[in-house]
Amino acid sequence: METVSQSIQGIPLNHYILLSAIIFTIGVIGVLIRRNAIIIFMSVELMLNAVNLLLTAFSVYWGDASGQVFVFFIMALAAAEVAIGLAILTMIYRNTNSTDINILNRLKW
Amino acid sequence: MSALITITILALLLLYLGLFKAKKALLPVALIGLMVALVLSLMEWDSNAAPIFSNMMLYDRFAVAFSGITIFLTILIIALSKDYFERISSNVAEYYALILFSLAGIILMVSYHNLSMLFIGIEIMSVSLYILAGIKKRDFASNEAALKYFLMGAFSTGILLFGVTLIYGASGSFDLEGIKQYILKDPTAVSPLLYTGITLLIVGLSFKVGAAPFHFWVPDVYEGSPSLISAYMSTVVKVAGFAAFLRLIMFSFAPLQDFWIPMIIGMSVLSLLIGNVTAVYQQHFKRMLAYSSISHVGYMLFAIIALNGSSDNAVFVYAAAYSVATIIAFGVLILLQGQVGNDSFDSFNGLARKNPFLALTLTIAMLSLAGIPLTAGFIGKFMMFSKALSSYHIFLVVFAALNAMIGIFYYFKVIVAMYFKEEDRKELIVPVYFKLVLGFSALVTIALGVYPDFIASLI
Amino acid sequence: MSLLSILIFLPLFAGLIIVVLPSSVREGYKYVALAAVIIQVLISAYIYLHFNGNVFTGIADQNKYQLVERLPWISLNLGAMGKLQIDYFLGLDGLSMPFMLLTSVVMLVALLASWEIKINLKGYFALFLLLDTAILGVFSALDFFLFYIFYELMLMPLYFLIGIWGGVRREYAAIKFFLYTLFGSVFMLLVIIGLYFSVTDPATGYHTFNMLSMMDPKNYVEGSIFSALAHNELFGVSARLLGFIVLFIAFAIKVPIVPLHTWLPDAHVEAPTPVSIILAGILLKVGGYGILRVCVSIFPDAAIQSAWWLGLIGIVSIIYGALNALAQTDLKRLVAYSSISHMGFVLLGIASITPEGISGAMMQMISHGFLSSMLFFLVGIIYSRVHDREIPHFRGLALIMPKFSAFIMIAFFASLGLPGFSAFIAEAFSLIGAFNSESINGLLPRWMAVCGTLGILLSACYFLWTLQRMFFGETRLFGGEKWKIQLTDVNAREVTALCILTAFALVLGIMPSLAFDKMNASVLELIRLVNLK
Repeated sequence: METVSQSIQGIPLNHYILLSAIIFTIGVIGVLIRRNAIIIFMSVELMLNAVNLLLTAFSVYWGDASGQVFVFFIMALAAAEVAIGLAILTMIYRNTNSTDINILNRLKW
Repeated sequence: MSALITITILALLLLYLGLFKAKKALLPVALIGLMVALVLSLMEWDSNAAPIFSNMMLYDRFAVAFSGITIFLTILIIALSKDYFERISSNVAEYYALILFSLAGIILMVSYHNLSMLFIGIEIMSVSLYILAGIKKRDFASNEAALKYFLMGAFSTGILLFGVTLIYGASGSFDLEGIKQYILKDPTAVSPLLYTGITLLIVGLSFKVGAAPFHFWVPDVYEGSPSLISAYMSTVVKVAGFAAFLRLIMFSFAPLQDFWIPMIIGMSVLSLLIGNVTAVYQQHFKRMLAYSSISHVGYMLFAIIALNGSSDNAVFVYAAAYSVATIIAFGVLILLQGQVGNDSFDSFNGLARKNPFLALTLTIAMLSLAGIPLTAGFIGKFMMFSKALSSYHIFLVVFAALNAMIGIFYYFKVIVAMYFKEEDRKELIVPVYFKLVLGFSALVTIALGVYPDFIASLI
Repeated sequence: MSLLSILIFLPLFAGLIIVVLPSSVREGYKYVALAAVIIQVLISAYIYLHFNGNVFTGIADQNKYQLVERLPWISLNLGAMGKLQIDYFLGLDGLSMPFMLLTSVVMLVALLASWEIKINLKGYFALFLLLDTAILGVFSALDFFLFYIFYELMLMPLYFLIGIWGGVRREYAAIKFFLYTLFGSVFMLLVIIGLYFSVTDPATGYHTFNMLSMMDPKNYVEGSIFSALAHNELFGVSARLLGFIVLFIAFAIKVPIVPLHTWLPDAHVEAPTPVSIILAGILLKVGGYGILRVCVSIFPDAAIQSAWWLGLIGIVSIIYGALNALAQTDLKRLVAYSSISHMGFVLLGIASITPEGISGAMMQMISHGFLSSMLFFLVGIIYSRVHDREIPHFRGLALIMPKFSAFIMIAFFASLGLPGFSAFIAEAFSLIGAFNSESINGLLPRWMAVCGTLGILLSACYFLWTLQRMFFGETRLFGGEKWKIQLTDVNAREVTALCILTAFALVLGIMPSLAFDKMNASVLELIRLVNLK
């Protein structure tokens, strides 16, 4: 454990922040521009994992375990979300034979 | 805290009742259980509450008041669900259980003292709602609403979490008190990470409450979801989201006002403008309600803009007024959709002649939403306006007053249709549960408007 | 419960009785309403007789109000802003007392006109009585918040009364009326809140909505937004002036002034006769009363500053209203425009800030209350018989409806300011006030009074011309013989209502002291308050 912490701390904190920010941004962009629901879904996961990574890094730097506990919460709830999300996608696929969200624009003002 | 436990157990109990085919018992058990939870939560009224569960939660007056109002509203909505779910599918128990699970999440959201609890609360609530939005499996609109709500929800959770992480990175704590202490230590020299974190948190929560410019999912989701669930989302969920928002900002970020107030003002102005102007052009009652709910978020944000000790009170009164009136509106909408199959404004024509009671309660609700005196909505708006004026946001208030005028225009469309337009129509059948809920809500609306003392200085 | 509360809530109570009565006795609703209104007339007559105008000068001193009632109503704890204390605070002085009597009488007449209403009686009479309560409340409320509540409460019943029982374009007229008035009152609310934060109650030290406290510059918090000493500016205008303007616009929409008058002809034309009577007879007076009670009393400095403009608006309304009336072919529209013209005198009188002018304005409101009710009642009689009121469609009515024509002649001559009727006294006093203003306080130039006189001349033109077109000459009707049969002369109920109004107009014209005695001291007190600044 010590060595893991030390090797994490060997890299400056800013690098973690930058890396996570980049991954997070990729996720956000993915959500905004992709049209396939499954890919959007994966992009959201990317965002969450960027968060997990950053939380772990912060946790090590503060020497505080609560950040890592939070990561477990996120993972658990992300799994729940995946389950629900895939169920919804399946339901829609049954009705439309597609996972493209462009055909879901019936509701408009 | 016993309210949270009661609600969770109640949800499980309902699942078992469903398993043993005791369908008749579902609704009464749910109502009684919720009333017990309401009483239990009100019994914890204690002005000097201390954080519990290793500082995870704080069941203070704020939490009691908001969990009280959310449970109360859920009771009203569940009472409207008589025969509603049966039309969708025969497995009714799950729907009740899901509503109650999301309510459990909401109780967490209003009583958290640690950002992890905020996150868990939001997730418990949202995950249940994703399902509820899509319970009409064959209905395309419902499918679409579920997917949109799900994608937007997951997306905003991601943003929210990134904000939480950055705040943790800056302050080294998820605890509201810890964050506050960190900011108070030297408010001028906080880490830039914190500012980014606050921004992302505000954005994330704005998604949840549906404040412009993060509102675009609201009309679609509210329109597509089954009306009962829309009622739940636009009242209970919105109130809870707002309470969580307010709690975070009041507790921890108040010293950094100069940073976030411009953001909130911008959101408030946009919400008012977009909500009101778009609502005018709606032809359908449900979609009009969705846009009006956006505009009401704009008014509620006033309490955050003029933040002080009584903001919670103002939000509480406003939220109560808005929610009760909205429940009446959705109650009538459910009847109308069920029996006429249409919710355009024209389908209200001549309602006053055939269903005077229904028309009267709906009129009271619309007046309250529009903020006409002697209804609860007026007291809410009055408190919001005085708060904003007391902190000299004069432009904002003048703008809001203009928007209130626009609001009257579309709320009155319904009244005009009901009273001034004649049409031959069948009388709507109003079940007893509906009569009770609508009559009671209308009474509450008037009572709060005439004598607001008994809830207005609660917190 | 004092007499005042009983007076205010009696109609509401009667309205509730009507709501709970079964619809099998629907013919009885109007008698319940009639009983309530008659009791109301008796109570207000009692109040009038026992009102001592010299003692109860009112305006800014609570002890000088009669029938004061003050109970805590809403108290909200606003944390750092202190306590939000709203009182149920009523009282009468010389400015408000005459309106209580006016309201009661006009309501009685309007109720007598309501016999023509045939559909949805329960809703109609319940709303009618609710409106009655709201109007009485406005005239007696002394807490600004309470005043606002009653003020807004007037809107709802009127909206429905026009919208449900109105004419063809009723929806349009109702929403137009509603939005116009609300536009004013929403901003009025903002000023009320601003005043609230500026004023503290000397007794408790909390902020207050008490109007009387707002009239005393000593009660303003130092540096607060409406404090006279602070000279705050909002949007580049002095805050107090802006507050005055906002409140003035709110009430001026009611009066109405040109150019904020366009709701009035529409509302009048579409409204059923009783509602037209109430609109013209009482609601327009709420505007004038509000200007005196609120605008001038709370912002006297701004009132003096803008007196010239007020006078100008008055003149423009007088002339513009009269010229428009000349051009109308619809009899009801003509009467509506004549109302705009006559209410201009009120504004002119108020703007002069002289005892004669303000007394004249008060008198004009009362007199116009009776006369315009009478005019609308008369128009309603024709309309109810043949459902037409185009002036060119009638000719020589005097031959087939002699009694009716007699009444209409009385109403027309009284309205155009024939000596012996109340309108003459009122207009004369307003004009004297405006004329003297230049030498007393230099607020209004003399030419304004001269222009006002021109308005009287014009009103003589349109009234006499109408009389000549519709009533004189040989009988020729658009509807031919059928109309001749339908146009029966006035019946006993109508005669009663018309006689009441004629009597008031005559008595006030012959013995104006009946009204002046009651309000003179209050008017002087008001002027003293204004000149303190």
